[in-house]
Amino acid sequence: MSVAPIGEQAVAPPARTRGITRRQALAAAVATGVGVGVVRLIGGSMQQIATPRRATTTDWISPLKSESARITQLLRRTSFGYTAAHLEAAMSDGFSKTVDRMIETAAAEPPALAAANTPGGRFPIVQLQQWWIDHMLTTPTPFAERMTLFWHGHFTSDYRKAADDTFMYWQNLTWRRMATTDLRSMLMQVTTDPAMLRYLDLATSTGQNPNENYSRELMELFTMGAGNYTEDDVREGAKALAGWQLPQPDSIATVMVDKNNNLTRRLPVFSSQKTGVFNPRRSYRGSITYLGKAGQLDTQGVIDRILAQPATAPFIANKVAQHFVTARPSASYVKSLGDTFRRSKYDIKTLMRAVFTSPEFAADQSYRSLVKTPTEFMVHGARALGLASLSKLIANAGSGMGQSLFDPPDVNGWPNNESWISSNTVVERVNFVTAALGQVKGALPSPADAIHRHLDGVLSPQTAGFLNQAADDRARWFITLASPEFQLK
Amino acid sequence: MKGEVGINQLKRRDFLKAGLVFGAGASGLAAGYAAVPDAFARAVYAAKKEGMTNDNILVMIQLAGGNDGLRTVVPLADPALHDLRPKLAGPMVSQALPLNSQYGLNHNLGGIKGLWDKGKVAIVQGVGYPNPTFSHFESIRIWETGDPSRRQVDGWLGRTLATSYDSNGHPLTGCACGATDAPGALRDLQATLTVIQDQKKFGFTGGGEVEAAVGALYKGTPGIYGALFDTAIATATETMATLRTSASNYQPMADYTDKVKLVYSSKNQLAAALQLAAELIVTGTGVKLLHVTLGGFDTHYTELNRHDDLMGYLDAAVSSFYQDLSAHNMADKVLIATWSEFGRRPKENASGGTDHGAAAPLLLIGDPVYGGLYGEEPSLTSLDNTGNLKYAVDFRSVYQEILSGHLGADAAKILGSSFDRVSFLKAPVTV
Repeated sequence: MSVAPIGEQAVAPPARTRGITRRQALAAAVATGVGVGVVRLIGGSMQQIATPRRATTTDWISPLKSESARITQLLRRTSFGYTAAHLEAAMSDGFSKTVDRMIETAAAEPPALAAANTPGGRFPIVQLQQWWIDHMLTTPTPFAERMTLFWHGHFTSDYRKAADDTFMYWQNLTWRRMATTDLRSMLMQVTTDPAMLRYLDLATSTGQNPNENYSRELMELFTMGAGNYTEDDVREGAKALAGWQLPQPDSIATVMVDKNNNLTRRLPVFSSQKTGVFNPRRSYRGSITYLGKAGQLDTQGVIDRILAQPATAPFIANKVAQHFVTARPSASYVKSLGDTFRRSKYDIKTLMRAVFTSPEFAADQSYRSLVKTPTEFMVHGARALGLASLSKLIANAGSGMGQSLFDPPDVNGWPNNESWISSNTVVERVNFVTAALGQVKGALPSPADAIHRHLDGVLSPQTAGFLNQAADDRARWFITLASPEFQLK
Repeated sequence: MKGEVGINQLKRRDFLKAGLVFGAGASGLAAGYAAVPDAFARAVYAAKKEGMTNDNILVMIQLAGGNDGLRTVVPLADPALHDLRPKLAGPMVSQALPLNSQYGLNHNLGGIKGLWDKGKVAIVQGVGYPNPTFSHFESIRIWETGDPSRRQVDGWLGRTLATSYDSNGHPLTGCACGATDAPGALRDLQATLTVIQDQKKFGFTGGGEVEAAVGALYKGTPGIYGALFDTAIATATETMATLRTSASNYQPMADYTDKVKLVYSSKNQLAAALQLAAELIVTGTGVKLLHVTLGGFDTHYTELNRHDDLMGYLDAAVSSFYQDLSAHNMADKVLIATWSEFGRRPKENASGGTDHGAAAPLLLIGDPVYGGLYGEEPSLTSLDNTGNLKYAVDFRSVYQEILSGHLGADAAKILGSSFDRVSFLKAPVTV
């Protein structure tokens, strides 16, 4: 790939102009096939803006007044990018029908992962990562995958501690199937999910000597947020939740784990997906006081008491808003979404529809106000390039950008937005673009179309200028995918 | 002579003359805790370093997840330990490496014990803060910001960078090694810092052409993330240039290995991160504040093997790091300090582990240290109402000694007030 001409231009701009003026940027945009007026700057030449510590007037000019831009924004935020065909279908349906279709279409199941039959789930995690990414790249229902990733970051587990990649596979299948169901069912499911039983230690907790790990995170990270419960609630909840154990395997396989030393291990084999089993002998039988009420309480009782707390609906609504609308949702917006969510008996479809059809979603301030997660960025890039066989690269490239699937940094899942931007991650994002373009064998799709489809034709003067100066399509694609515009959604 | 290099470099270079500010909307980001540091980096004036006349370096090692203080510095003679921990106490007491008749180090901390014997390890016992939270994330934030009232949004090291150093154009002044995002302790809107996960991979595929193209592409980027992106790219390219020189001038004088057997494999390559830290230190890159992390300390389950493994990993990496710095005659400049969001519950749980706790010891390691035990080990028989250890030393007392005594910074300004001293430094630069 040659990007030399760009670099040369960059290092030595024409002496007379020093940078790119608004007129030049517009000219560049026209030259690259973008409609007139789509490169937008406020306040004229950017060189005039140099006063320290004062907010400047430089911002992306939102095209969200137009329905087509609202549709591309919706797709960027809900579907790991899109192909030309997806975009065309959405444009012909219009915004609100697209929202309906997205939310109402049942998730397409990925093909079964053969490795999941491996005794003890002892297969390399990269197989599971690739399997999921392959499905992201090809699924007819990308919104389900986006929601699966959201729940994977919310009700998160880590393959290292779960110590059985089959359990992690099941958990992924579960979040896809339950992605747009209701919080009450999801909370019961996550509590008894085998990977979660291991990850947050509920599988080894007993009523007599409870382990607090799951009880705490259930309230702090999954439902209510810190400050809305007491340490006594953590302890009492741990008692009430104790008793769950891992499911019994269908059979046991004797597997050679070390040929040199002739060392074998007996490992569990499951013929189908299972959930945890409740063992009353390990449970707590006394009365407890939990979230302000005393009495006997089982797991469903714990969940229902959490759902009765006013903190729960806004906590989930806030997180959804941060992932789909804006990095800093206002208190009134969160309250309104939370009220809708709670009134619907915690129905996820109702919540998501409220999010996508809210004025905040289409507000100008919302435009490019979110940073794509590494997975979204890479899958979007591959789909834009029409590369369906990029899952190996994507699976391996995520870690340097801060996101390795099934391996979240901690029990809080992945951070979002500005946390994705550091000196390390931006370099890795650019390197991914270089590597992905290296895998394109034939002709590239039209970069001019891509700028229109994926960047709405709204470009910074730098990006527009470089596109105009680029030597060939490969360089234009490099600029498009490596640009700041493409990192945002 | 060697010591002069860093500070002179800081004064010579002034990137301000080239710096335009494109910080639209950054104040919006600043409103939340997670705001990342460097949005206004290029607008920060360089000339505020009065009094910073030393070239000392700080390396903070985060033991993420809540390190079990009782298994790190083990009470050897307290029978209450065996009542609280019937499964865990026996082996940890019998195998511990005695420091005196009362306390011993975890048996896998042999390298650090060797440094203790030479007077290079200070242990501050019973470190915590009032009304402890048992949430990882709240407590991490408290330690990172140095503010138990949770009003402060900038990190304590970030504030140090912003108030006491010239990080503009010198992104390596503050550096997170072995990470992909900036640790909260180093964050401040007015500081620039570098994040390097893996030095071997830190560079643009395609080399100088790509570097120049991307460097020019990320200029004046609009939007709330614009300045953040531009600074990240500028920081990355400046750091790459520095690393090209430092890598060729650095010969490790110790064996670093991350091939460590752990019960669960680790996300963090601690040894590689410390080796990078050593390279940055010994090659005079101007680095001042370094942060590395070792995760996995949230030992609710099978703590015995898990925690021992982590102690061994920590010990090997820190020992190599110290040896390397010594061989390069830099050990007298570098203070190594561990921190963790909390200790663990004295009473063990049914899973052979321990739940979230409160007070715990901190280790301070290096030639600047006056070795010994400081603070006060909390009583195992007088626990607080959550069954946790009561703290004796506010963690900000330790920060204060590091800031004023080692770095020569204005600790009261950075921490917001003054705290009781813990005199673990041999020759504090300011008293």
